[in-house]
Amino acid sequence: MNRRLRNALKGLTAPDDDRRRRAMEPFVRETFQMFIRYLYRYLGNEVECEDVLEDVYGDIWQNPDRLRDVESERQLLRTVYLYYMRKRLREVYRTMNRHLYLSQNDLTNLTAPELGLLDKMSQSELKQALGRALGRLKARERRAIELWLEGMSVRAIANELKTTVGAVKMLKFRTILKLKKMMSEYCHEE
Amino acid sequence: MADTNRKIQELLSDYAGALRDGCLPVFLKSLTRQEGETMTCSDDFWEAAQVVRVLNGVGFADKAAIADAGLFASRVDANIASRLKKAKSSPRARRTNGARSTTRTRKAEKPI
Repeated sequence: MNRRLRNALKGLTAPDDDRRRRAMEPFVRETFQMFIRYLYRYLGNEVECEDVLEDVYGDIWQNPDRLRDVESERQLLRTVYLYYMRKRLREVYRTMNRHLYLSQNDLTNLTAPELGLLDKMSQSELKQALGRALGRLKARERRAIELWLEGMSVRAIANELKTTVGAVKMLKFRTILKLKKMMSEYCHEE
Repeated sequence: MADTNRKIQELLSDYAGALRDGCLPVFLKSLTRQEGETMTCSDDFWEAAQVVRVLNGVGFADKAAIADAGLFASRVDANIASRLKKAKSSPRARRTNGARSTTRTRKAEKPI
């Protein structure tokens, strides 16, 4: 953890409201990119990410006790997700739940899940693991994932691979399961 | 998402698409009871969903138009100011500040 972030965290856990408020600015500057990228996983929408993050920072200012013993960036991200972001993510979808055919448990698992093995890895570790896993896939599987990551629709991928939409969906599903296995192996190796 | 009886691979594909496009509520609303049950019963779906979220973060977060941290800090400060204001003007805070209800002071006065 860099010195500026450590100092900001120290100010954030002060008992005085005004001192905590002054410490928020350097804390936001140091963590904004990291937090918003993490939230993007669950929302995929910049505007919603910013709205949720604004409340998350407000909650941190109001009740920063959980951040008292944080020593590394990874630990900070994990603590902020578990104790601040998750609650806010659940609130985004809470009002929707009565109109859905999903159980409360499934909705939570889909929108604000518990941290899995892959969620605990940092962005750079994930990129590395994904790069290695993609390299081990068959050419067709890799192409399907790469095209999807470029932002292409399933129909466009099907046209590109000269196959049907259904076949692409099946290929993507199997490949993603394969990726999960490979990335978990990488995680255990590390 | 017009299909009402999607298989697990189709559900995952639609979930991934919704997450990528930032319209998860649309996907959630499109689910039928049967599809909801299919998802609940499938371990593969939940495993794949985890990877889809990770891919979403790794693949698309860098391309997203993210606001300037300095501007966002002032937004956070405004949020904190509004919380402080709310805390000061809440009824409980007013009572502890020494303001009493009018009925109580009237009772304390001696009748003429």
